[in-house]
This record gives sequence, C-alpha cells and structure tokens, in this order.
Amino acid sequence: MSELVFYFITLCACVFAVLSVTQRDIFHCALWLAMTLLSVAGIYFYLDAAFLGVVQILVYVGGIITLFVFAIKLTSHIGDRSIRQTSKQWGLSIFITVLLLFIICRIFAQHPWAKMVVERPSTSLIQVGQSLMTNYALPFEFMSVILLAAMVGAIVIGKVKK
Amino acid sequence: MIPLAYFTFLSAFLFCVGIYGALTRRNVIGILISIELILNAANINLVAFNKYLGTPDGMGQVFGLFVIAIAAAASVVGLVLIIAIYRDRKSLFTDGFTLMKE
Repeated sequence: MSELVFYFITLCACVFAVLSVTQRDIFHCALWLAMTLLSVAGIYFYLDAAFLGVVQILVYVGGIITLFVFAIKLTSHIGDRSIRQTSKQWGLSIFITVLLLFIICRIFAQHPWAKMVVERPSTSLIQVGQSLMTNYALPFEFMSVILLAAMVGAIVIGKVKK
Repeated sequence: MIPLAYFTFLSAFLFCVGIYGALTRRNVIGILISIELILNAANINLVAFNKYLGTPDGMGQVFGLFVIAIAAAASVVGLVLIIAIYRDRKSLFTDGFTLMKE
C-alpha cells in the first residue's frame, strides 16, 4: 500500500514536470509547475518531513507561483500560442539530457547505498528547530540577510526610472 | 519499503527535465520555471538521504529549508529582472538579448 502511494506520487511528479517544460502556453507551464511542486511536497510527506512539505506548499505554491503568474500577466503578449517557444537545438538537447539521465542513474544504481531500505527514526520537528538555533544558527541568520538583500534589490531594480 | 535509489532516480529525472527546459526554452520565464525544477530535484535528495542515512541533528531537512529560502529569493530577483528587461526591450525571447555582442 505504502509503495503504491510512492509510485503514484512519482508518476504524477514526472508527468507534470515534463508538461511544465513542453507546454506552449507559458501560463499553463506555470500551473503545471504548481502541480509538480505539490507532488514534490507529497514526496516530503512520504519521507516523514511534514514541516518541509508544509513550507514547500506555503512558499512555493502559495508564493512563488503567484509571482510567476503576476510576471506572466505583466509581460502580456509573450504567452501568445502562435509564437514558437523552443529553440532550434531541441533535438540535440534531448540527446544530451537523456545521456545525462542515463549516466546519473547508472552511477546511482551501482552505489552500495542504492538498495538501502533501513528504517531509522525520522527527524522530529523539535530536532530541526533545535539545530536551527544551535548548530546552524549562523547560516540561519545569514539567510535573513540574503532575503533582506533580495527584497531591497527587487525594489531598486523594479523601480521605474524617471 | 522503497529503496533509496528510487528517490535518487526521481530526483535525477526532475533534474534532467529541468536541464532540458533551461536549454531549449526561448522564453526567459520558461527558463526560470526549469531552474525551480532543478532546485526541487536537489531538495528531494537532501530529504531522502536525511531519512535513510540518518543525521543526528536533522541536517538534511535544515538544508532543505535553506534551499527553499534561497530559491524564493532567487526567483523574486529573477522575475523583477525579467520585468525590467521587458520594459526596456518589449520582448522576453533569449534570441533578442544580444546587447553584449553589439
């Protein structure tokens, strides 16, 4: 039963990901991306990382996808269906990508941890919170500086110049 | 129980789909969408290894949180840049951005 859930979420994630890079209408791409991100959140829930799954839904599906939709609507006519959306080198790109996928999967399959199924006690939210405030306090504080810099930078770049 | 390799296969597939999108898209917003896919592929690996190999302090999940925060900041700056370029050029297709060559 548990395996079936995993295979279903994986199938959803793969199909939605392919749709989000191949669709012609860029607005539809953003919506398929939202579905992909929801499937990835499902994977997090499956891996007992409930907090990360909730953050994924809040930040990605709630925030970033909204921004994407705004950007697409603000740059009006580029989502026109008649305009070609892929470059001329798509055949070569498919070849390179499939080769890359093959190489990566081969390396993963040969590695000793590939068949590992050992059950460990999952990381609790308390543990995550404690290590955020102790071992990883410096990167955590640094992240707030990065977010502030991104916010100020976005306002400065987006300002209409007189 | 699912072997660890299946999660890495899923992550590799999402990564390669993202690479394909970033290589072929003519639209800059499409390229940003592909980059989001790549970041998510990395995140799946972090969470899966955290579950299977086990870290004493939940390192994988903490770094997953950091990756999500960085992705949010990156996409905000990227989308603002896109809007600034659109105001300047009235187009969002990568073929048209040849300012550095001229």
